[in-house]
Amino acid sequence: MSKRITVDPITRIEGHLRIDVEVDNGAVSDAWASCTMWRGIEKILEGRDPREAWLFTQRFCGVCTTVHAIASVRSVEDALNLEIPANAQYIRNLILINHGLHDHIVHFYHLSALDWVDVLQIPKADPAKTAALAESISPWTGNSKLQMKAAQDKVKAVAGSGQLGIFTNGYWGHPQMRLSPDVNLLAFSHYLQALEYQRKANQVVGMLGGKTPHIQNLTVGGVANAINLDSQATLGMERLESMKVLMDEVAKFVHQVYFVDACAVAAFYTDWFGIGGGVKNYLAVPDLPLDARATQFDLPGGYIANGDLSSVRTFKAAADAQFRPAVLEDVTHSYYRGDTRLHPWKGETVPEFTNWQADKKYTWVKAPRYENKPAQVGPLAQVLVGYVQGHPLTRKWTDAALQTVSAVSGKKITINDMHSTMGRHLARAIRCAMLADLGDRHWQMLVDNIAKGDVAIHNPPSFPSGEIEGVGTHEAPRGTLSHWVVVKGGTIKNYQAVVPSTWNASPRDNAGAHGPYEASLLHTPIANSEQPLEVLRTVHSFDPCMACACHTFDVEGKQIAKVKVL
Amino acid sequence: MKKVLIAGVGNVLLGDDGVGPFVTRLLASRYEFESGVEIEDLGTPALDFIDNLLGLDALIVVDSVENGKPAGSVTLYRKPHLVRHAPGVRMDPHSPAMSESIMAADLIGTGPREVLLIGISGGSYEAGCDLSAPVKASVEAAIREVIRELDRLRIPHHLNENAGSPAIWWSDATPAVTTAG
Repeated sequence: MSKRITVDPITRIEGHLRIDVEVDNGAVSDAWASCTMWRGIEKILEGRDPREAWLFTQRFCGVCTTVHAIASVRSVEDALNLEIPANAQYIRNLILINHGLHDHIVHFYHLSALDWVDVLQIPKADPAKTAALAESISPWTGNSKLQMKAAQDKVKAVAGSGQLGIFTNGYWGHPQMRLSPDVNLLAFSHYLQALEYQRKANQVVGMLGGKTPHIQNLTVGGVANAINLDSQATLGMERLESMKVLMDEVAKFVHQVYFVDACAVAAFYTDWFGIGGGVKNYLAVPDLPLDARATQFDLPGGYIANGDLSSVRTFKAAADAQFRPAVLEDVTHSYYRGDTRLHPWKGETVPEFTNWQADKKYTWVKAPRYENKPAQVGPLAQVLVGYVQGHPLTRKWTDAALQTVSAVSGKKITINDMHSTMGRHLARAIRCAMLADLGDRHWQMLVDNIAKGDVAIHNPPSFPSGEIEGVGTHEAPRGTLSHWVVVKGGTIKNYQAVVPSTWNASPRDNAGAHGPYEASLLHTPIANSEQPLEVLRTVHSFDPCMACACHTFDVEGKQIAKVKVL
Repeated sequence: MKKVLIAGVGNVLLGDDGVGPFVTRLLASRYEFESGVEIEDLGTPALDFIDNLLGLDALIVVDSVENGKPAGSVTLYRKPHLVRHAPGVRMDPHSPAMSESIMAADLIGTGPREVLLIGISGGSYEAGCDLSAPVKASVEAAIREVIRELDRLRIPHHLNENAGSPAIWWSDATPAVTTAG
């Protein structure tokens, strides 16, 4: 007999991800991903000055502010065919790298680790054995017995108070929780340390961007960071050096702690390399341009179709000639008017709300399609696209991860096992390790370029009277982001943002093809319908971000996701 | 010297949700504070909010709230009220996280002892950059509550003699401001 499970987080105002799954004989037989709130924020941009659009777009989302700012200025620069100075590329790249480091660390430790780590097992751990285990796998200096004991004491204090506080609603004791008390303690101690290191990465964003969460230093045509190596008031050597100190500390944490922990968790849960695959068309755009004209990139892009890891179509440009026409949005199952697939430059956003109907319309998310097929975006796509084209830095960290997981687990884990829930977690750690290496490299490129005497930061834009179109892309922490702008007579005529979580949370299309979240849940075994931990693990592995638009605080409502079993 | 954060929270693109940032920007243009007091328009933070809380003596948040009262009502909430419900099972891990951030800061051990949420009941959250009339009319009351809390905490403040126009750049009702630099 089949059962329907709905995981639907609450309240009228906050738009949220809702997941419905049908469970048949202990496994998911069908799935629906939906977003419960209409945003339509892009409408606000119509009629505005394209030079100011980035200020508005960085308010789309409270977590991904920087990425929407960058994609916006890039879209206008693309429309104008406006080159930006090399310094501006490096400064933007350093912001993107540090934002990515911050974001990935937070995702692994603070947003998804407790799907795998059972906090209530921690009081049973032996801090001395935990420290010995940690020291056997990493040279990290934060793994002493004293530090493990301190972390354990924090959990004991909470558990002993009778009030679990922040830990109240975890699925503790679930049969799928399989780490030993010592490993649980180790992971939790790094959860606490990670708070400090994600903050350092964010500080670097603030040092270049003026402040966080909303950076101030962008401008269409470059950046607004005046450069003078001898001045403290501008971007000078003193500020560059203090940034570098922070970046080195973060890189060490990523390489010696996050990367190692992700491999260890993967090794203890190797069965999750066989669960959660889903859509195997992978899309990533190139990013971190190396020159003013953006002809070379440090992060590769391309498209892999049908999970075939023997070939990849490589993208040569940030918005490649293959990419531009290939993106269409379908609204067959979304609460919008229309029944044709539209290109974002022609995109419409006319709401047509019906109630949630499994076989009709059921979400506010549109269904983006690449060459008419659903595509998965995010770290797994980034890593696979790079790996298949033989990108050296991707190969270096992917091979290291696969070897480590295989050695610790005693099972051979290969690149073909990456189409999975655990593959997405491991890919995020791989990508983060790569970003830590690249931070060092882009810092050096900026310093070297300034040392040559180049202090240019901005090329002024000028707008033609006619109509122009542009697309700005960024390969963001959650995957491919693209902003599509149409400018007429110097003001914005149309603006569409196709965000990573739209690709991944997309509903079915008019051909009935599931979106990536939906497809990844099919066939997932569910041990206990009342505690669908397996559903959370797979959905969290994508790092969903779709509800950040509106934060009205519900002071009366309980902040608990309803799990409804019918 | 006490460390105090006055944080405006909300999305400035979604009508009354933007009232928190609106109030903090008005405050920042009207008043001067001693060092140790920061006023920030934080937009819509999720767990990143933890970073802002660590090491604070006091936190004052201005935010729109859903509490069933008429639009523009100003209601004060203290810490025990804000942390009385445990955070939920998250489907989308980036969902609003004020309570959870306060709990996490307490777990680390350096969260703010004093927390005041100045909640302004919203009316309309349609996409748009302006506040509804009843919410706009409550802005001065919210500012008075911030000042009253600072007085209670014995934090000096004074009116800025050279107050410029507030940097509420998103509102169509106020002139655009220069942002680069």
